[in-house]
Amino acid sequence: MSALAPLLRGVHVPSATTPGRRAAVRRPADSAPSVANFERIVDEYQRRLYGFALRMTGNREDAEEIVQDAFVRAYRALGKMSSGQRADLRLQPWLYTITLNVTRNRLRGKRPSNVALDALADPDAILRESHEGPPQPEAIVEQNTDIALVERALLQLPMHLRAAATLRFIEGRSHPEIAEILNQPIGTVKSHVHRAVRILRRILGPQIGRFVPEGVPQHALS
Amino acid sequence: MRCRDVEALWDELRGECQTSLKETVHSHLRSCPSCQAMYEQYEGVAYCLSCLPPPEPSCDFAKKVVQHIATLKGTQYPPLVLAALTTPVGRLYVGLKSERIAYVSLDTGQALEEIVARAERRLHRRVVPGEAPPWLVRALDRFFDTWKLDDALIDISDLTPFEQSVLRAAARIPPGEVRSYAWVATQIGRPKAARAVGRVMARNPLPFLFPCHRVVDSSGDLHDYYYGLEMKARILKMEGYRG
Repeated sequence: MSALAPLLRGVHVPSATTPGRRAAVRRPADSAPSVANFERIVDEYQRRLYGFALRMTGNREDAEEIVQDAFVRAYRALGKMSSGQRADLRLQPWLYTITLNVTRNRLRGKRPSNVALDALADPDAILRESHEGPPQPEAIVEQNTDIALVERALLQLPMHLRAAATLRFIEGRSHPEIAEILNQPIGTVKSHVHRAVRILRRILGPQIGRFVPEGVPQHALS
Repeated sequence: MRCRDVEALWDELRGECQTSLKETVHSHLRSCPSCQAMYEQYEGVAYCLSCLPPPEPSCDFAKKVVQHIATLKGTQYPPLVLAALTTPVGRLYVGLKSERIAYVSLDTGQALEEIVARAERRLHRRVVPGEAPPWLVRALDRFFDTWKLDDALIDISDLTPFEQSVLRAAARIPPGEVRSYAWVATQIGRPKAARAVGRVMARNPLPFLFPCHRVVDSSGDLHDYYYGLEMKARILKMEGYRG
């Protein structure tokens, strides 16, 4: 991060060493996850897992169903574990892994969502759209368009790259954490993250500067 | 240090890494405008992603999940037994509740656990895989010969009264014919509920048996189908529809 500071000029980018935007809520150390305190687990992790599932599918209804199924699986698995296994369990990565597996299972037998389908049908559409006319004055509309643009770009990635990019940059996870969630070697994770960023840069290239907050010199990121 | 090496190190440098490595890369960036531009764009991508607003699930979502789990673990209801068998429309998963059919799902290549989870979500009841009993094979053979539903074979008591009345109204559409969502709504005495009818059709737990495929929009367009419009057209054709 420090090497990039001169380039970024104060733009905040979550990195592996700083916690993500949604800082982890630690569960009390005295209680291992179990079916008895499962309600608290649901309460604590539902937003985070829902966000992840939504970024992976692009569809709210699918995301809720995926997370619900993931919790059911987690509940059943916890019921079969010994107390030793539960004490050793790293709950957060484990829940992410289950959510990802449910997502994979679900997307395998299903036509892609409309958003993803539109984007996949014409990969250049997103670029053409971004070049249409000058930016509109209505800041809110503009901002929402930008968000939609990034969301759709993410959905254009193949699933394994989307998972890596989402965990790394949206969820703010470190390489070792992602490796644990995806059950992949760290080198593979790094390579997937890198390939995802390269593709996203190609899709969003001309747009990136528009996201820079006011006060940051345009040349820093454009 | 070559440009290619510098590119590969981008994400690495954002985390913990050796100071000497950072300095080497930094000095390369200072002397290489194209790598500097590339780093700026990569940071832009990371920044864009980090700026996506955290999405919120619906407000009662956690409660819904906890309730769903509570119903699944409850022992007061016997589980639904899910059996797979081959029919003229394809391989079907059929859910049985005390010797009656309570759930049907077409095998579209998903994992079995995904089918089970979907059935559990729909009926709020534990689902266990099992074998198809001989009476079920005979009953489905008979159904796909005539496309007429034997009421004694099915159980939709887990559904809401509105859902039950919509499905029973749809079952009155003769095989090979179609009716509109508005027609079904009128049949149940709720003429303004055409959209709600569409919603029940979309979540029909007994597709094929309760013929949601015979419900189309008012213009006669097939509109939509859970298993795709191609499947809807195919089933209607099998029944003798000439639309």
